[in-house]
Formats: sequence, C-alpha cells, structure tokens
Amino acid sequence: MNKQSTPPGVAPGTPPVLQLRGIGKFFPGVIANKDVDLDVWPGEIHALLGENGAGKSTLMNVVTGIYQPEEGEIILDGYGQTFTSPQEAIRAGIGMVHQHFKLVQAFTVAENIHLGWDEAPRIASPAVMEARTREISERFGFPVRPDARVCDLSAGEQQRVEILRVLARKARLLIMDEPTAVLTPEETGELFRALKAFRAQGNAVIIISHKLDEVMEISDRVSILRGGRKIGTFNTADCNPSMLAATMVGRDIVRRNMRARPEGAAPIAPDPVMQLRNVSVRDDRGVDTLRDVSLDLHGGEILGIAGVAGNGQRELTHVLTGLMARTSGEILLDGNLVERADPALFVQAGVGHIPEDRLRSALAPSLSVTTNMALREYPYPPIGTHGLYDAQAAGVLAGDIAELAQVTIPDFAMPIRNLSGGNQQRLVARREIRIASRVLVAAYPARGLDIGAIATMLGYLTDLRDQGVAVVFISEDLEDLLNVSDRIGVMFHGRLMSVIDAEAADMATIGLLMGGRDAADTQPGATQ
Amino acid sequence: MAARAFQRLPSAPAGRILVLRLVAIVLSLFIIAGVLALSGHSPVTLAELILRSTLGSRFGLEDLALFMCPLLLTGAAVTVCGTIGLWNIGAEGQFYAGAIAATGVALGLHGPAFVLLPVMTIAGILGGMAWITVPTLARAYAGVNEIITTLLLNFIASLLTYYLTTGPWRDRISGAQVSTQRLPVAIPEMWGIVHWGFPVAIVIVIALALVLSRTRWGYEIRIGGANPEAARYAGIPVRLRIISVMLLSGGLAGLAGMFEVAGTVHRLQGGMANNFGYLGIVVAVLARGSCLNVIPAALLMALILDSGIVMQTQQLSASVVLAITGLILFMIAIGDELAHYRPVASTTPKGKAS
Ligand SMILES: Nc1ncnc2c1ncn2[C@@H]1O[C@H](COP(=O)(O)OP(=O)(O)OP(=O)(O)O)[C@@H](O)[C@H]1O
Ligand SMILES: [Mg+2]
Repeated sequence: MNKQSTPPGVAPGTPPVLQLRGIGKFFPGVIANKDVDLDVWPGEIHALLGENGAGKSTLMNVVTGIYQPEEGEIILDGYGQTFTSPQEAIRAGIGMVHQHFKLVQAFTVAENIHLGWDEAPRIASPAVMEARTREISERFGFPVRPDARVCDLSAGEQQRVEILRVLARKARLLIMDEPTAVLTPEETGELFRALKAFRAQGNAVIIISHKLDEVMEISDRVSILRGGRKIGTFNTADCNPSMLAATMVGRDIVRRNMRARPEGAAPIAPDPVMQLRNVSVRDDRGVDTLRDVSLDLHGGEILGIAGVAGNGQRELTHVLTGLMARTSGEILLDGNLVERADPALFVQAGVGHIPEDRLRSALAPSLSVTTNMALREYPYPPIGTHGLYDAQAAGVLAGDIAELAQVTIPDFAMPIRNLSGGNQQRLVARREIRIASRVLVAAYPARGLDIGAIATMLGYLTDLRDQGVAVVFISEDLEDLLNVSDRIGVMFHGRLMSVIDAEAADMATIGLLMGGRDAADTQPGATQ
Repeated sequence: MAARAFQRLPSAPAGRILVLRLVAIVLSLFIIAGVLALSGHSPVTLAELILRSTLGSRFGLEDLALFMCPLLLTGAAVTVCGTIGLWNIGAEGQFYAGAIAATGVALGLHGPAFVLLPVMTIAGILGGMAWITVPTLARAYAGVNEIITTLLLNFIASLLTYYLTTGPWRDRISGAQVSTQRLPVAIPEMWGIVHWGFPVAIVIVIALALVLSRTRWGYEIRIGGANPEAARYAGIPVRLRIISVMLLSGGLAGLAGMFEVAGTVHRLQGGMANNFGYLGIVVAVLARGSCLNVIPAALLMALILDSGIVMQTQQLSASVVLAITGLILFMIAIGDELAHYRPVASTTPKGKAS
C-alpha cells in the first residue's frame, strides 16, 4: 500500500510509530470509521480534526483497544497488533488521555499514578509512592503535588496527573482527546510546552481539537476526518485556519456580526426579568466564590460573561438557575424575591440552563436518548398528563429535538453516552432552548462543538434574543462574546468587574479586566 | 504480544445473558449429578423425584406458587429500591414487621374475615414501612448508608418475633413451640393450597413495572437512580423520591410477611421469614433491575428452594442443599459475567507490514 518515505528528521528506515490501514468501525446504524489510513511518525505532533460525530474519538478508542475494528489493521513500529484492552495498548506504549478524566477523585495524586500499574512496588507506603511520583513528575517536567487529593485539583492539574499516569508507563505515543477544552489559556500554554518537550525526545502525540488556532500552533501535520473517512493529511505549515475549517465541513463558514437585530426582533425589555443584588456565595471551605455580584437581565438582550474559567462562572450559573443557595444578597424573578434556591422554581419560570459539564449534570448517560430528551418537559403535556409518563410522546419530542439539533440518531433507545461528545452537547442545547421562554443561561455552550456547529449555536442565541428571551452567555472566547453580546461582564476572583457595552468594548480592555485590572484604569477616556 | 481472542464489553445483550444462564444452570446440574453419583446417590432417581414433586405434579406446582409468593414481593422490594440506586438489605426485617403487625390485628381484633383481612393487609404494609422508616430518614436527611441500617434492623425484627412467639403471644391453646396460636382468619385459597396472595403478588409486580416505566414518579425515580445530579438539575425533589421509594420497598416486604402469615403458615412463628428477605436480594440481582424479570427470577429461586426440600427428604443434609443452591447461583453469576465477553472479530495478520 502507500509506502511512505521517511519524513525529514527521522532516521531512514525507521517505521512510523503507528500505522492504520483501512480501519473500519461500525455501530448499529452508524459508520463511525471507514477506510481510515493514518501514519504517525516519531517526533511529530499529529492533529486530528473533524466535525462532531466525524469519528475522531472512535478512531482513537480503536487504537487504544477500547473498541475492536471490524476492518483494517493497526501496525506498531512495523508489526501488526491487536489490543483487546487499554492496558495492553499502554504496555505497547500507547497512552490516551480522555476528555472525561478517569481519575479516582478521593485518592491522592500519588495513589492515582500508581493505580493498576504493573511496576508499582508491591508494598507501597504513601511516602514511597509520593517520592516516586515526585521523581516521575520531575523527570517529565509536569509539576504535580503528590499528596494532594484529586478532587481538590483544577481541571488543568487533573489533566497533568492523567498525562503523568500515561507517561510513567513509558508511553511513546500520547493521544489526547480535546485536552484544551477545559483548560485556561495559561494551562494550555503549559500543556503545549510539555508536549513539545515530549516530542523532542522522539515521541509522538495525536491531539484532537476543535480549536483551529491551537492546531496551527502545536501540530506538525493535520489529518481531517469527515463522516468517518479520512479526507487527507496535510503539513500544518501549508495550512491556514479557514482552509482547515472549509475542508472539515466541506463548505465555507461565514462569520458575521450577529449583534445586529433583524427586522421585527423583540426590543430590549425595559424591566429586568431577573436581578441579582449584592449576591455572594461562600463554599464549604469558607472561600468566597462569588462576591457581591449585582446584575440585571433584560429580555431581548444577550449578556456576555467573559473571564478565565474558575473565577466564579460556575457559581454564577448555579445561582441564576437555583442550583446553589446564596450566602447573602437577593435574587428577584420578575421583581419578586426568590426565597430559596430550588431548580424546579426556575424551570417553571422558564429558565433554561446549558451547564458547563453536560455529561455530569444535565444527562443521565446510562439512560436512553429519549429519556434524556424528556428531562425538561416530562411533567407537562403531551408527555406528562395526570401523573403519567407517555413514552411515545417522549419519543416524538426526542425526534423533534434531534432534528432541530441536526443530529442523526440511529436508535433512540440506546444510552445517550453512545453519542459523540459534540452531539450530546447539541441535544442538551436544543432541549434547553425549548424551555427557555424567559431566560437562557448558557455556560460554555460552544465547548466541544466543531466550528460549523459553533456558528449555529451562536445563531440559536441570537434567535432567542430576537424572541425576547434574556440570554446569559458565558464563554472564554472573546471573539464569540463580542460577536453576539449586547453587554459584556467580566469575572475575576468571584467579582463581576464591570459590565460594559459590547459596542464600545475591545479585546484589549476585556483582557485587562480579565486579569483583574479595574475598569477605571482601562476605560478609554476615563478621567482621573 | 499474544492477541487474546475475547474482549469485555461494558454492557451485555439480554438474549446472550439468558442463553448463558441456561448453559450455567445445565452445567451446574451436571456437576451436582456427578458429585451425587460419586457419593452413592442416584442422580437419575433424584432428578425424577424432584421433577415429580415440583413441576411435574399438581402438589408440586402448588408448593412452587407458595414459595414464589413472598419471593415475588421481596424481590420487587429490592428491585424498586435499586431503581433509585439504593439497596434495601432489610426486606427480611420488614417481612417480620409486616407479619407481626398483621398477627397483632388478627389476635387483637374480632370481626368477620372480610373486615379483618383488609385491616391486616394495611397493617402488614404499614409494619414493613415502619421498619424501614429510620433507615429512610437517615438516608434522605443525613446520607447514612442504607445498606447497614436496613441490615441491622433485620436482627432486631427476628429477635422481636422470637420474643413475641415465646412470650406475650405464645400459643396457649395447643402449646406449639415458638409460635402464636392459629390465626382466626386466613386468606382464602384459590387453587389447592395456593391462596389469593399469589396472583395478587404477580399483579403487584406487573403494576410496579408499569408504574416505573409509565408514570412521572417512575420517570423521576429512574433519573434519580441514573444520575442524582441531573435529577436535581431538572428540579426533581430527590429526597422526597428516596423517601417514597424506600417506604414502598418496605411496604412490599411487609406485605410479603402478611401474606405468609395469613395465607401460608397461619401463625406467627420464630424464624418464619425463612430467608425470604435475603433471597429477595438474589431475586433482584437475577432480575437485573427489571420488575418484570422478577417473575421468572422468583420462579427459579422457588424451584431451587423446593428442590432443596425434596432432597432433604432423601437424606441429603441441609448444608449439602445449601451448597447446591450456592453452586447454581455461582454458575449463573459466571454466566452473566461471560455474557459481557465477545470474540474479537479481527483478522489482523501478524508480521512485518508492507
Ligand atoms: N458505543 C457506541 N454505540 C453506538 N454508536 C456510537 C458509539 N460510539 C460512537 N458512536 C457513534 O459513532 C459516531 C462517531 O462518534 P465519535 O465519538 O467518534 O465522534 P467524534 O468525532 O469524537 O465527535 P465529537 O467532536 O463530537 O466528539 C457518532 O455518530 C456516534 O454516535
Ligand atoms: Mg469525541
């Protein structure tokens, strides 16, 4: 077959670390992969791109032995291999870091690193494991605190532990499925530095990402999947983001200013639907996660919330949807004081919520697609009448949502976790938009979506705005925020730094605010 | 690296599980036959006898139905609780509590059967509910593990029964040991010695299956069991649902006790629960979380129990019978596990790639 010449920098005659030949993987009603050929050479970072449901995660699960391919072969260092489990794959030097971390939350970092590891000492005291972990962490240049409990770590720190787990097992090929989706920009920078160091030792990386700028920055070559088939492999140096995007979706993606309202759109309502007045939240450990936040939500307006993740956005969404009780301050819905945090109350008031962590908080992964789609509307006709649950009506609803979300589902009775990450996200978004008659709180709704789907998602938000719904749009992507928001608030250390008109805002100002600088020093033309 | 020919899948199709369970049962029967033959029994005669006294005769079928009746209800009790992700290990104790409450009514009140029986039924259900109340509230409001609390209450219920049947309620008429006198009323018989509790239990199990799949409450229970965080997100009052499910579970086990005392045994006796509560856990595990599956699972369990009694009449000790029961269940568990494995459909050639 297509015998490839060794790329520059690799000793002649060296075989690729990984070769895939004609891989095919089928699920009932879905061709997840078909005829996929892929070469990954030592010393390269190979990006894998594709729309939601294109088959990226499935392909990598095939490589790491989670799935068995129906067709094709996997060749490692020139030898055919069959893996029946991820353990076998890691023994052969292939390690994967999944988007949903698989760490034991209650264990320490050192315990997690040693869990299920052949080379872990048979009798290991915490001190021994921590010393080993420290040594490994220094060797690979991933700083971790060996004695910290995983549940106390940030997403970025947890990811470092996952990577170390893999590297400690002598991986030569590291596969990362959307690693940057949950990272702050600084954490992403650190990750990329580490990946480059790993590459410099003659190892290889496969990275899946929807963020084209990152792909341009980090990768040597890019392979693009569409509908389960590989479209091609390109040298990153010959690519640019728009060309990648067009190749990925098979058409051009137009980005337009979506702040302009069409004819007949609902105007911004003068009276706020929801108000926060000096709301603060203190967590169990006595840390103030939300400090003295006041804001008004008006129908027909999109309020963007910018800020580095972890600065109180989670708490803000939870307070706005009744999932978290405030420690002090007031919340008003339609001018009425909300006495207690009760999600049911907010649902009834027409508040939709696309949460940050869909899989954990908005879906029951083991239940069917239909059951999950009914989660918001089961108490109301046609699904719920006289205390009954009409499974057939729920099926109709699920069909409607899937159609609007442009997700094809072969079998509505299968567990929703079988859908691709992005498709789950699209379904949750559509489900929430349906019930958001007054307010939609969308936390990172574009996370995990492909570039075409992001444009569609932003379109959903502006549609809601035009119908007179108040939208809270939390994002890290300033471009997206500026594209659709009417006003933009910036969060820093639990404080809402300031809310500025999107018209007058520019990236630099917002960037300064995100770093905790006061509005007064940044506002152009501010006196004193 | 040597390629293994099998891969474990996270879920197993129902048909494959059924087939492997049948294989497991047949295999264990062969093993049992072999061991019995070696120890000087005739497996063929024994098998014939067992068949004749269970499925093969009217009396056998009647016995089976009587065994099934409590198993259906305790199995359903554990299954319902499992739907919201909780384990009711205390069906045994709730069974006793239901039996005690029903007996109390029968011994304490006087009246015609058509008045007494409904009151006893309600008392039985309330007795079971009362017995699970403390574990329920501890679980719902303080997060106390229900497995331990429900389990510990079993011993108290059992001892309470011994106390009552040897103390205040002991049989003063015929002098039966560890027993009350015969109750003045009984659940009417429907078919031979099979009382109406049996069809009622079947109907209850079917109704529960419908409630879980076709009502709002059932939907909320399923969501709460699959992901409590998503349930909270959807505004489902998870705590209230936990309370209602656990009380229902206790009520079912209590009803099993009432049926047993008023339909089958006709007296409250020490040790009368006969492990039906614990076997309910086995039934629920065999049913794999589906209420309808409780019916065949209870039938299988009843068959095993009934066969055990027949074997005991053939000079096989109770512990041998217990070992046989264990073997069959063990083999079924292996079958269930094997159902997750699938041959790898790969034809990867080995060797140097082109
Ligand atoms: N276990 C499964 N059972 C059935 N279908 C599956 C299963 N796993 C994946 N699929 C289907 O295979 C297709 C490819 O999914 P995959 O998760 O590989 O997409 P992806 O490229 O990773 O997308 P995303 O960017 O959204 O994460 C999807 O249509 C998905 O529904
Ligand atoms: Mg994916």
